[in-house]
Amino acid sequence: MSSSSSSSSPSCPKKMITLKSSDGETFEIEEIAALQSKTLESMIDENCASTPVPLPNITGKILAKVVEYCTKHAEVGADAESLRAWDAEFVSVDHPTLFDYILAANFLEIPTLLNLACQSVADMVKGKTPDEIHKIFNIKSTFTPEEEEELRRENQWAFD
Amino acid sequence: MHRRLHQPHLPHSDSPAAPSSSSSDDAAAKRGKKRGSYNCGRCGLPKKGHSCHAGSSPSPAPDSSSSASAAAASTPVSAAAPAAAASSASAASASAVALAPSSLASASRRPPQPPPPLLPRHPISHLRRALSFDDLDVRADEEEEDFDEVEPDLDERDRDFVDGDADAGGLPARCLWEVLRRLPPAELLAVARVCKGWRETSRRVWRAAEDLKLRVPSRAQLCFVGSVLNKCPELVRLSLRMESDVDATMLACIAFSCPNLESVEISTSSNAVNRITGDELGRFVADKRCLTCLKMEGCSNLGGLVLSSSSLSTLWLSDLNSLSKMVFNCPNLREISLEFSRNGNDCTDLIAMVDGLGRSCPILQNIHIASVRLSHAVVLALTASNLRGLRMLSLVLGSEITDASVAAIASSFSDLELLDLSGSSISDSGIGMICNVFPETLSRLLLALCPNISSSGIQFATAQLPLLELMDCGMTVCDSNNESLISDEAINHGMEKRPNSSLHLIHQKLIIKHSKLKKLSLWGCSGLDALYLNCPELNDLNLNACKNLLPDRLLIQCPSLENVYALGCQELLIEVIQNQVNNDSFPVENHLPFKRLADGSKRVRVPHFLCQQQFDVDKKQRSRRRPCNVLAE
Repeated sequence: MSSSSSSSSPSCPKKMITLKSSDGETFEIEEIAALQSKTLESMIDENCASTPVPLPNITGKILAKVVEYCTKHAEVGADAESLRAWDAEFVSVDHPTLFDYILAANFLEIPTLLNLACQSVADMVKGKTPDEIHKIFNIKSTFTPEEEEELRRENQWAFD
Repeated sequence: MHRRLHQPHLPHSDSPAAPSSSSSDDAAAKRGKKRGSYNCGRCGLPKKGHSCHAGSSPSPAPDSSSSASAAAASTPVSAAAPAAAASSASAASASAVALAPSSLASASRRPPQPPPPLLPRHPISHLRRALSFDDLDVRADEEEEDFDEVEPDLDERDRDFVDGDADAGGLPARCLWEVLRRLPPAELLAVARVCKGWRETSRRVWRAAEDLKLRVPSRAQLCFVGSVLNKCPELVRLSLRMESDVDATMLACIAFSCPNLESVEISTSSNAVNRITGDELGRFVADKRCLTCLKMEGCSNLGGLVLSSSSLSTLWLSDLNSLSKMVFNCPNLREISLEFSRNGNDCTDLIAMVDGLGRSCPILQNIHIASVRLSHAVVLALTASNLRGLRMLSLVLGSEITDASVAAIASSFSDLELLDLSGSSISDSGIGMICNVFPETLSRLLLALCPNISSSGIQFATAQLPLLELMDCGMTVCDSNNESLISDEAINHGMEKRPNSSLHLIHQKLIIKHSKLKKLSLWGCSGLDALYLNCPELNDLNLNACKNLLPDRLLIQCPSLENVYALGCQELLIEVIQNQVNNDSFPVENHLPFKRLADGSKRVRVPHFLCQQQFDVDKKQRSRRRPCNVLAE
């Protein structure tokens, strides 16, 4: 990652950039924290981040959490254990929110958050039958009954 | 595969009680060796000649070294951009990949003995993709022997159905891909039933797979493996744990389904019999032009083996028995590990084999041979070859290896980094020769179960080898009349306790001061009654079965110590160890015991340096990073 141009001396104010969610809310985030997003990083590099950055794909509610995540992960001196615990807490949310995290992390290219959220969803999927998955994620099966039956028969040993 | 040579002298590589310890060095290079580390802790490649670029390089992960028998099994995760990728796919995938922690793929098929000490990191390529049973979890420190049963998915009808926006539960295909690729194989098959979008994405995940670890249960048929392999045509690394007999049809299936295969590993669990013959294996290897790594255990039916391959660079075979000939026409071979059966009926001509090895594999760097028939003549055949690049030499179980063999080794190979002559008959003068020739390169010295070594030899080695990081002297300084459980186990492992009648092997003391030593194993040294250690970098200390070590003659000043194994030691000793390693404020006692030896001739005194350094040690102790585990269960 390119280094931030902000000075690290305590007397200088931290460089912030502003993000604007799809519903018009604005959020300030330290440039250093924002560097975790590849998208934002390249914008900062190209000096496009001096005005509020519009993020039409991300709602205010989610953007607030993303900012929180990046800020937390940009902290120095956090020890691995407590960060892990914090992460675990961060993803203890309902699945629509998790999906939103994934989408946001994907759009903003935040690899750590993407990994965290995807892994959580994967963990939720593990060990579940397709029906349970349908329920949890509100998905409809697009198979015909015959197809379903066939698939079921094929995989009946998959969960031994 | 390669069974443990003997008792856990380096327990972190072996004992189930061992906590995840510091370096993944513990993952032995040769499967089952579980001693010392041949492999880089970060990416699993043999350390020799390796500069680790874990985390940065886009080259394929070197997880073909299945060394990490205990290493966490999660495999390198790389997001290969799926076909219907969104615009930012490739960039995102590369970055997503770079941060996904991964660990050694080829990790243990074997019931991990020691939970992989440290999760080795892999260099991740954005082109690679791995499927394994294990959690691709950032947090995974334990290795998951989560071998799944996987049944064939025979439904090939709707193969290329592309589900438009894949609004499967609100996730676009790209994101669903990221989720599904973190699932183990069995789950991946199962989620295909959720809806068409999920099925399509799961198929893409399969197609991108480059690594696969599969357990083949006993009732599975060949077509099962075949159908799974058919899903991943890009497979580069395959690891099979067979629970039923395996023969050449499996090899044919693998050869047919996976054209790009570079690494094959076949392990067998208890009842499975490996019926592959030498001819069949030879044909497989010769046909697979890009095979670089082959590891196979249970090789008792080979009969004879002629391997010809210009690509093969790593070869591990175990349970070898009575091979009529063993020829390796593999000019690119760098690492070879051959373990012969120990039941005494092996009649392989090792001399001819080693002779041939020297001639046809000129760039060999790591050699490991375990056989009770190793002898001085075999060593001579090896040293007569021109293996200039040899860095790691391990010739174990050969009681006929003598000091003369050491002389030969010392004069032919000048740059050894690891020397393992466990089970041999070398004596202190052999150690002297080793220290003469290898002080600038040797970092690992293993001399377990060498009955002719005494504590002065050990002490000499630690004093003369400045780069030493691992020293294994298990079962050396001990009384042959000892009928403890330990020696029984040693016998069970094929090591015979040779009688030594020397009285001088009891009441021995060891004083070791070394600035780099990280692991020291003195298991079974029941002849030791005093031990003084001053090793600032020492992480692991094995004192299992040092039952005569006296509590008031123990001084451990090793602030970095993380694990001490004290199974079978006196209760009081264990307490003393606990106190010494965990107390922040080091009691400044007078640790200058004076004692007369049994023959009344000498006083034993703690050397002066130990006192002077006590104060420094106190300070270091207070800033100890983590508490030391004393394991005595």
